[in-house]
Amino acid sequence: MTTAHTGRSDENEPFVIYPARRVITINPAFPFGEAVAVSGDRILGVGSADELASWGGHRVDDRFAEHVLMPGFIEAHCHVMSGGLWNSTYVGYFDRRDPQGLLWPGCTSIDDVLERLGKAAADMTDDSQTLLAWGLDPIYFPGERLVARHLDTVTGDRPTLILHASGHLATINSALMDRCGIDETATSPGVARGGDGLPNGELHEPAGMMLAGEAFADMMQANRSEQARWRYANEARNAGHTLLTDLGTTQLWDPEQLGNWKKVTSDAAYPARVMVAMSNLFGATADPAELAELCVKLKSEQTDKLRFGIVKLILDGSIQGFTARISWPHYYKPPPGHIGNGMWLTAPDQMADLMEPYHRAGLTVHCHCNGDEATEAFVQAVEQVLERYPRWDHRHTVQHCQLTTPDQYRRMAALGMCANIFSNHIYYWGDQHRDVTVGPERAARMDACATALASGVSFSIHSDSPITPLGHLHTAWCAVNRVTASGEVLGPDERIGVPDALRAITIEAARQIKMDGEIGSIEAGKLADFAVLEDDPLSVDPMALRDIGVWGTVLGGVLQPAQISDV
Amino acid sequence: MSTQRLPMTVVGGYLGAGKTTLVNHVLRSTDERIAVIVNDFGEISIDEDLIVAADSDKLTLANGCICCTLADGFAAALMQIRSAGTLPQRLLIEASGVADPNQIAAYGHTPGLRLDAVVVMADAEQVRRQANDRWVADTVRMQLAAADLLVVNKIDLLDDSKEADDLCDWLAGLSPGAAVVRASRAAVPIDVLLGPGSASDAADGRERPAPDAAAAPGWHTVEDLFESQTVVLDVPVPMLVIEALLADLPDGVARLKGLIQAAPPTSADDTNAADAANAAAYLIEAVGKRTSMTPHATDPTQPPPRWAISLISNKDSLPPTWLAERLVRRG
Ligand SMILES: [Zn+2]
Ligand SMILES: [Zn+2]
Repeated sequence: MTTAHTGRSDENEPFVIYPARRVITINPAFPFGEAVAVSGDRILGVGSADELASWGGHRVDDRFAEHVLMPGFIEAHCHVMSGGLWNSTYVGYFDRRDPQGLLWPGCTSIDDVLERLGKAAADMTDDSQTLLAWGLDPIYFPGERLVARHLDTVTGDRPTLILHASGHLATINSALMDRCGIDETATSPGVARGGDGLPNGELHEPAGMMLAGEAFADMMQANRSEQARWRYANEARNAGHTLLTDLGTTQLWDPEQLGNWKKVTSDAAYPARVMVAMSNLFGATADPAELAELCVKLKSEQTDKLRFGIVKLILDGSIQGFTARISWPHYYKPPPGHIGNGMWLTAPDQMADLMEPYHRAGLTVHCHCNGDEATEAFVQAVEQVLERYPRWDHRHTVQHCQLTTPDQYRRMAALGMCANIFSNHIYYWGDQHRDVTVGPERAARMDACATALASGVSFSIHSDSPITPLGHLHTAWCAVNRVTASGEVLGPDERIGVPDALRAITIEAARQIKMDGEIGSIEAGKLADFAVLEDDPLSVDPMALRDIGVWGTVLGGVLQPAQISDV
Repeated sequence: MSTQRLPMTVVGGYLGAGKTTLVNHVLRSTDERIAVIVNDFGEISIDEDLIVAADSDKLTLANGCICCTLADGFAAALMQIRSAGTLPQRLLIEASGVADPNQIAAYGHTPGLRLDAVVVMADAEQVRRQANDRWVADTVRMQLAAADLLVVNKIDLLDDSKEADDLCDWLAGLSPGAAVVRASRAAVPIDVLLGPGSASDAADGRERPAPDAAAAPGWHTVEDLFESQTVVLDVPVPMLVIEALLADLPDGVARLKGLIQAAPPTSADDTNAADAANAAAYLIEAVGKRTSMTPHATDPTQPPPRWAISLISNKDSLPPTWLAERLVRRG
C-alpha cells in the first residue's frame, strides 16, 4: 500500500475503485472513464483504474466491470403518494412495477380490471376492510364504462373504491354506496347516474368523492406514513434514481410528516436523497412570508439526504382534464358543456405578490404550468419580481411546461428561468392530445425539449409519478423518440439526442434544485451517486433506451441493488 | 343529533370584491353560530379587514365561531367543525378569488347540509375591467353567472346613480336569475344575506351598520336600498298559489322566507280552494331564482308559530302590496 503524497485528509481509509464497462460522467471536460474511485460517500476521481490507483491505498471491486455507470438519475418532479398508493391494488392500463419490484401487467380491458379486483378481494382476510384500488383510466376503454354493477360481480359485499388515474374521479361498488347512503335520492352533481337514472357508482371531483367518506380518506392518509416514504425511495432505486423531489405534497408544517421524512432519511439504508418542496397548498397558512421563513429554517437544518429550499406553486389544471389554461384557440375538441378554457388555481395577477417573499428569501419557485397561458402568467410574474427585487441565479422553474411557446422559452432564457418538461405525456396521452385536447399542430410542439435546448433554457424532464411511472430511462426515451402509445411519432422536430436527454435527467435536474455542485455528474469531489446500468444508453438503439436493465444504484458510496421479483 | 340540515352559504367573487369583509360583516351582525370555511388555496387576502391573522387552520373568532381552511379537503374541514362541540347553525364558505362558486356549492349536497345560497361579490369599480381582462374574463363571468344573490359592492365609489343603474343592468345580464343588490363596504342587510329573521337580536332585527358605513363618501349611502313586506297567513294557503309565487318572482326580490300551512286542492276542478283539513306546514325560501319548499316539523307541545311570509326587495322595485295581492289572488 502506497500512501505517499496524497491530498486526501482521510488517507488511512482505503478507497474503492470500481472498474466499469464505461463511466458516462456528464462532465463535458472529461466525458468518459474506465473506472471510478469512491472514498467514503464521495467520488475521488474518474479515469483509468491505473490512474486512480495512484491516489494511494485502495481496493478494486470488479462487480460493475460489465456495467455502465452514470450519475444517479434525478427526478425533479414527483410525489410521495407514489409510495402510498401501493397500499392499494393497481388497475392501470400500462404495465407498472411496484416498489418490491413486482411487475403488475396493465389491465387493458374492463374484464382485466375485474379479474384483478376479484383476486384482490379473495386475498383479503379481514371482512371489515375496504378494497382500495388505483390507476383506472377509462380513456382507454371507449365504449363501455366500468360501473358499480360490474364491480359487484367480483367484490360482492366488500366495500370497494377505485381512484382513477386522473385523481378527479372514483368508482365505488354497491356495498360502499349502501354504506355511504348514496342512493336515488342523492342530489350532488358529483354523483354520476346511469341510463336508468340511478347512481352508477362513479363519483366526480372532490365534492363527489368525499361522499365515499373514510374509504377515500384512508387512501390519502396512507401517503403520510413512513412506509410510503420507503416504498417511494425503493421504487426510485429500482429505476436508477438517487434523488427524488417531492414537489409540494408534504405538509411541512405538520410535525408528523416532517418527522417521518427526517426519520427515514436518517436511516443509512434509505435508498434515495429527497428534496421536499414547500407548498402553499393543503391548508398552509395563507401568509407566504411565514412559509418562506419556515423553508429557510428547514434549509439550515438539512442533511445530505433530506434537502429543502424550493417552493411549489400552482397556476392551472391539467390538459387531459381540460382544466389547463391554454391560449386561444383553447381546446380542440372539449367535451360537451365545457366552458372553453381551463381554470386558474391561483389568480394570475396575484402571482408576483405571492412569489415575492420566496424570491426575496433566496428560494427557488417551481410553478405548475401545464398550459401556455399559465406559463405566460408565471413568466410575467418572474419579470415583475425581478424588477422589484433584482436577483441573480434564482432558477425559478416552469414545471410541466407542456405548451410553452418559443417566445416564452426565449424570455425564460433571458430571465434565467429553468424548465421541467413533462416528456412522459407524449407517450401516455400524446394520441389524445393530437386527436382531442389540443389538435395535431399544437400536439406536435408539446413538451418542446428541442426548442428549450435551442433557446438556451436549462431543462429537465419528469414523470410526475404517480401520474406516470417513475423511471428516467423512460422519460429520456420519450424526449428522444416522441413515440405515442399507439406507436406514432408526435412532432419529430422536437426530438432531442440521447446525450442531451441524459444531461436532462442528471445535471440539468440537479441544477434546477440547486444541487448541481454536489450531484448530477461523476467528477472528483461530488457525492458518489450512480445509476448502474446493464447496457450503454449512448450505444443502444434510441428506441431501446427504456429497455436497458438497471442493476440498482450507488448512493453516497453505499451499494443499493434493485429489487426485481419477476418469476 | 338534530335532523335539521345545516344551511350552507357560499361567498364567491373575484379577488378584492369584498368577500372577507362580507364574512366579517355577517359574523358581526347575527347571533347565529356560524362556522366559516375559507377556501383560499394559499392566496393572499387583499381585503384589509382580515377574518383573523391567518396562522393556523382552526381558530376561534370573537363570536365563538369556527374557521377552517378548506385544506385537506372539505370532508376534513367538515369533520373538524362537527367534532368541535356545539354544532353551528350555518356554514359559510368563502371561496377562493378564482374559484367557481358552483363547484364549492356542490358540497351543499353532502348529507346533513343544505345549500342555502350562492352569494357572489362584484367590485363596482373593477368588475367591468375584470370581466374583460385578458386572463380572468372567463373566470369572472363564470363567477357572476353562478350567483343567486349578486352583491355589487363599493357602489359608493361610482360617480352617480346613473352609472350604478347601468352597471347593475349590465351585471343582471351576466347573472341571469340572480337578485342584484347594492352595497358599500359589503354592508348588505343580514336578512337579505341569510334570510328574513337572521339579524342579531341586539340589533333589534335591524342591520347594525359596519363601522363608518354612514360616513361613506360619495353620492350614495347604503341605507334605504331595500324594503320589505310581510303577509300574515292565519289560514292555510292553496299549494298552487305558493308554487306559482315561487315560480315567478320578479327581479327586484332579493330574499323571501316564510313559514306557512299549505293545503292541497279540495278537488281537481277547483284548484284554488284549499283542503284545510289536509294542510301541512312548510318552510319556503327564495334567494334570486333559487327556491325551496320543505316540510316543516311543528312541535305540538309548543304554541303554533307565526304563519307568515316576508319578502325583501330592492327599493321601489315592487308595489308595497305586491305579496299580499299574490297570496289572495284567485284564478
Ligand atoms: Zn403539477
Ligand atoms: Zn406533480
